[in-house]
Amino acid sequence: MSAPRIEVRDLTVVFEGRGRRVAAVDGVSFTVAPRQSFGLVGESGSGKSTILRAICGLAPVADGTISLDGEAPPAARRAFARRVQMVFQDPYGSLHPRHTVDRVLSEPLEIHGFKDRDARIASVLADVGLGPEFRFRLPHQLSGGQRQRVAIARALVTEPDILLLDEPTSALDASIQAEILNLLNRLRREKGLTFLMVSHDLAVIDHMCDRLLVMRNGRMVEELSRTSLDSRAVSADYTRALLVASEGFRRGQPAPEAVPISR
Amino acid sequence: MTSLAPEKTDLRAWLNSDTPRSRGHARAIALWGALSDLARNPLTVFGALLILALLLTAAFAPLIATHAPDAQNLAGRLQPPGWNGHLLGTDELGRDIFSRIVHGSRVTLSVVAIVALTAPLFGLLIGTVAGTLGGWTDRVLMRFTDIVLAFPRLVLALAFVAARGPSIENAVIAIALTAWPPYARVARAEALTVRRSDYIAAARLGGASTPRIILFHVVPMCLSSVIVRVTLDMAGIILTAAGLGFLGLGAQPPLAEWGAMISSGRQFLLTNPWVATIPGIAILLVSLGFNLLGDGLRDVLDPRSARR
Amino acid sequence: MSANAPLLAVEDLRVTFDTRRGPVEAVRGISFQVGRERVGIVGESGSGKSMTGRAVLGLVRAPGRAQARSIRFGDAELTQLSEREMRAYRGARIAMVMQDPKYSLNPVMTVGRQIAESLRVHGRRSAREIRARSISMLEEVAIRDPERVLASHPHELSGGMGQRVMIAMMLVPEPELLIADEPTSALDVTVQLDVLRILDGLVRDRGMGLLFISHDLRLVSTFCDRVLVMYRGRIVEEIAAKDLGQARHPYTRGLLACLPRIGGGDAPLATLSREPAWEAPLP
Repeated sequence: MSAPRIEVRDLTVVFEGRGRRVAAVDGVSFTVAPRQSFGLVGESGSGKSTILRAICGLAPVADGTISLDGEAPPAARRAFARRVQMVFQDPYGSLHPRHTVDRVLSEPLEIHGFKDRDARIASVLADVGLGPEFRFRLPHQLSGGQRQRVAIARALVTEPDILLLDEPTSALDASIQAEILNLLNRLRREKGLTFLMVSHDLAVIDHMCDRLLVMRNGRMVEELSRTSLDSRAVSADYTRALLVASEGFRRGQPAPEAVPISR
Repeated sequence: MTSLAPEKTDLRAWLNSDTPRSRGHARAIALWGALSDLARNPLTVFGALLILALLLTAAFAPLIATHAPDAQNLAGRLQPPGWNGHLLGTDELGRDIFSRIVHGSRVTLSVVAIVALTAPLFGLLIGTVAGTLGGWTDRVLMRFTDIVLAFPRLVLALAFVAARGPSIENAVIAIALTAWPPYARVARAEALTVRRSDYIAAARLGGASTPRIILFHVVPMCLSSVIVRVTLDMAGIILTAAGLGFLGLGAQPPLAEWGAMISSGRQFLLTNPWVATIPGIAILLVSLGFNLLGDGLRDVLDPRSARR
Repeated sequence: MSANAPLLAVEDLRVTFDTRRGPVEAVRGISFQVGRERVGIVGESGSGKSMTGRAVLGLVRAPGRAQARSIRFGDAELTQLSEREMRAYRGARIAMVMQDPKYSLNPVMTVGRQIAESLRVHGRRSAREIRARSISMLEEVAIRDPERVLASHPHELSGGMGQRVMIAMMLVPEPELLIADEPTSALDVTVQLDVLRILDGLVRDRGMGLLFISHDLRLVSTFCDRVLVMYRGRIVEEIAAKDLGQARHPYTRGLLACLPRIGGGDAPLATLSREPAWEAPLP
């Protein structure tokens, strides 16, 4: 069997500040096979987004290893960028307010020395379902869904094989979320991408991912396949609480689980 | 006339379009949007007109001036406005005040232009580098900025001019040397918030180098605050230059410079008040123009003031 | 239809924004009633749901302006009140809870002082009485160590805790109607349910009316008694929450269908194709 596309082993991320050490991620391990889609699910403070940032070198790795195809990820920023790209949660914050769509997409092409930039921009815009009329617009002339499509296009324009998705639809309306999720699934099939997706929404992860890891307070709770989640074959109480919560409100039912009072 | 109308509306539609068809078109639309926002504030328009008048006066000074600025006429000294074709009267050497004001605008404008092109650029560079990199770089650069900021501008300018000899060039250099720290502060404050944003993280993940991020991603976000600040500071810079001229440390006679003109006119303030007040009014109007324009620019450009 | 007389009756409410390109209507003539029940307003961003909530309280800020043929609250006609008279209603008889407690609490004051101040405004005196009342208030919103919460500053509280404190403060004057604008959207799912349980108890035990504004159809459909679905400033459907499965309007049905479900498989989700006809007023 070939090496997993992404392997995270015993990853620990520690933030230090004001004399306190906080382990945002504490000994987390998982593997993602090529062309698979893996989900990290949890509530705020679970460390799920920190894992993505650690893979990208945006968060300090205190312990553990991250490898891509069995090797350490390329240390140089440019070489790494050719393999791994990320889509951020907030489409309003992830696009430079003064850069047109054209500029957003042509900059990575310029950095990596692509020649046929015009053709690539046109084709990646078509890939994410934006017409050529969007090419010279500024972010404030776009809706949230359109911005997120531009962010996806930016991630894909240099043809990476791994896409990290940090709550890519949680800032969007439900109908727009459906469009973006469909788009991501289609692109994964067409381009043979590997997804590592973070979300607080169990239903979104279930829809998008073959396997998932439930996290809480920086630690692993349990790893599940989609089939076991669908048949509610879960072993941890916390996962069960998340499952119940994802179905909405139930009158006359006690709290599924004690919730910590404050942080 | 009638054939012009459709063309006009075409241009308007082109400028207001929300589907730009090229990079240039996108830029034209953004510029037009900012200009029409500016144009809705009458005070800003008034300020802009004053600056425009200064620009035109400086550009066409020899055509506008009725006399040579340093042509003396000792027989017609200290004459009141209107006397014998002298629109604003004559000074103590019988030179035409109107012509000297007109030619003096070139001096004022070049002082403004040189300072506006050097100090803010330097400040922007220091500020964005410090703000983006953080850590030790930030600490060293900002302490250096604080040290320069601690020097009183006029005193440093006086010392500089005293060491190198009075001239308008030295006065400008002295002003520029002391004017940049506030821009560094403004740019750094802006850069500190910008560097945490997702679009900077995205640029980094796209493989962009740090200089590229500073230059193309951070600087554009800091630029508008600095431009606003520069415009509002212009009045102060003109006054400092005029102040140096007044003290005899800036422009040297017979160069027509507004501050020096006030200085030489002050001996006749009680007997022939126009000699000193007219250049004073010129300084006042130009300073007012820059301040009004700066206020309007702040409303349009400053990210902290309300977005439409 | 609620069994009892409506607490709030809004008729032909409009909110208009004056923009550079002319006036834009965010709310286009909607009418609805709220009794002593949970009424949900659901819609996507730009549907005008938040503006509706603000307009009832007279909180639409310039360049927006709100007009209505009538907004009746109990015996009072709110459209006829001056800003000063309105202030007597706002906060006292109609309260509002916003999405993010971080922006509603004063960051430099302890929670205890903020609660004490709101108690004092509403007429309680002695320090001991205020303290006892503060603690019982926090207990009412299921805060287990009220002493510690009273002594903390807002940034020391988690989102769910902050929102509970906000709700507790809103309840000091015992309002008859609570307008909650996305009160749980900034919270984790498990915490979300706790906050909803508190709101639910207030309606059940105190007979308070609740106008619950949210983008989350699943939450609204399981929590509210009645749902108003808004689209581009109009109410396109009004339906009992339990009947949402039989919704008639294609927009409501589309909103329900586009949500991913656990066990729903990975087949493409249904998407909405918006039709211009949805923007027409209801017959």
